[in-house]
Amino acid sequence: MQQRKIILGVAASDAHAVANHLIAHALRGIGYTVVNLGTCTPVEEFAEACREHPDAEAVVIGSLNGHAHEDLRDLAAAKAEGAIRCPVVVGGNLSVGSRKDPSALERLRRLGVDRIVSDPAALPAVLDELRAARSAAEPLLAVS
Amino acid sequence: MSGKVVLLGADRAGEAPHGNRALPSLEESVAYVAGLGKPTAAQVLQKARESGRVAIQPRCGVGGHEEMKALLRDLETEAAPDLLTLTIDSHTRLKRFEQALRTLNRDPKDLNGYPLVTHGWQRGRDLNESVAAPLEIRHGSPDARALFDVSVASGITSFEGGGISYNLPYSKAVPVAESLAAWEEVDRVCGRLAELGLIVDRELFGTLTAVLVPPSISLAISVVEAVLAARAGVRCISVAYPQSGHLVQDVAALRSIPLLARRYLPPGVQVHAVFHEFMGVFPKGRAHAEDLIFYGALVARLGGASKLITKTYQEAYGIPDTRANIEGLRLAARANSPLLDFVAVDADRVAEELEWILAEVADIVEPLLEQADLKAAVADALERGTLDIPFSASRYAKSEVIPKRDAEGAIRYLSAGSLPLSGRALRRNDALLRRDARTGGGAADPGLRSLLADLTGDINYFLTVFGETDHEGTS
Repeated sequence: MQQRKIILGVAASDAHAVANHLIAHALRGIGYTVVNLGTCTPVEEFAEACREHPDAEAVVIGSLNGHAHEDLRDLAAAKAEGAIRCPVVVGGNLSVGSRKDPSALERLRRLGVDRIVSDPAALPAVLDELRAARSAAEPLLAVS
Repeated sequence: MSGKVVLLGADRAGEAPHGNRALPSLEESVAYVAGLGKPTAAQVLQKARESGRVAIQPRCGVGGHEEMKALLRDLETEAAPDLLTLTIDSHTRLKRFEQALRTLNRDPKDLNGYPLVTHGWQRGRDLNESVAAPLEIRHGSPDARALFDVSVASGITSFEGGGISYNLPYSKAVPVAESLAAWEEVDRVCGRLAELGLIVDRELFGTLTAVLVPPSISLAISVVEAVLAARAGVRCISVAYPQSGHLVQDVAALRSIPLLARRYLPPGVQVHAVFHEFMGVFPKGRAHAEDLIFYGALVARLGGASKLITKTYQEAYGIPDTRANIEGLRLAARANSPLLDFVAVDADRVAEELEWILAEVADIVEPLLEQADLKAAVADALERGTLDIPFSASRYAKSEVIPKRDAEGAIRYLSAGSLPLSGRALRRNDALLRRDARTGGGAADPGLRSLLADLTGDINYFLTVFGETDHEGTS
């Protein structure tokens, strides 16, 4: 059976390494191959990793400094060009300020973010759902 | 004076502005230091050790030259530290000399340190001559060759960094083989200077990412860097260790440094233990911060450190102002008081912890030190995870290690990743963490959410100690 693979990283302006490494650790623990691009990763680097790892089933981006929207500005173009084809999951602390505004999440979705995850423990289930949805939609690309 | 600085002949990015030709010869710089009328950093450290007191040193660096000079003078006049620092700005650390120059000419206050390469060695000497204490360069450069050349020409006798410790915590994509090669060149110049009669103190940055670094990782990486430095000719090595916050663990780690030096370094190399006051999340309240500063200084004394790098009560808020820096130095110096001889630590517990630290360090470093090509062995071990640090900024470490505080606050291995620790050591780490599972409920496999929450709590340890727990967020 082929190992499941995801691309992981922290948004471009963000140097928070702890949650990033813990998520990589947890996903590896349940059998994933994690391509961890680490902190301060621009969209372009995520796209590059997608080219190198066409078998990755999702790109998972953390953002803790509140600059998610600014950091992911290029995501819409990367998805439109097909540079990032797999689903994009974003999690963390997604806008500045302690009171969260739902419009901030809507703006991220408009950039092409497929899922927004507030609890990292929910990631495995979200990845399973995304994979199931994708194999249903594109049977020829399904991992066998 | 804040006249514009012009970069001469720096048309290529990353090239030192004045070119090496413009620098004085090593012989001239050695003669300059001899005539400077102040001790070298190595002499200050040796004297501190002989007199049984801990030398005190601040961090400090601002962009403008006159401002830097005023800062050094103010710190010396008001707090008389044993050593002073030039903290270097981020552009210079990354050899972005053009950006450092542009920022300096636009507004020096936008620089987060002193751009020594841009100011040039004559201004470095001007700073050196304006204070009585020797200077150290503190930075974070994976390739510090240009900075080191200007530092030597400035007559500066202490230089921080190393090919592992100034790469993994600071840079994302610099191959370790490259940073090790660049630092080997720095260390070789130290060797040549030693032959010419000038001992440069080379301080290794065992603090690493400053986030829950297990002592045996900090010390193992310093041992490797120290062996490489000694082989390249370095004669004075300072091994810096960051306060974990646990008294027994910190005292044992500091006391292990001379033992590690005896075990792994050739005789004739002077080795000093340096203690970094807590480098993690600092309490906000001034009294709390000052408690932590004084506590750190006492630990340095108990551990027999030659030197202490201080913090300030403004640590939680960013780079401190001069006043806070002065107060931090004065407070730390109080721990050197002869009245405090009664302060002691449980010798049996320290001895036990020390044995374990030595054993863990041996497990990690001895397979590497056996290799013919140590630099290649280090790069390979980092790639395989047999040498590793937690929460690396660099892709060139695996970062499979997950640290965790035990119930007493000591830093243990929740996961040792691929580190070649003995079964005994792993079992002890497990036992120390599991024994304490009563609060967390199953620390063996706590699940991602509670692991994140637990580690956030561990990172914010001193906020909990001082009841400042409204703070939120991981680093």
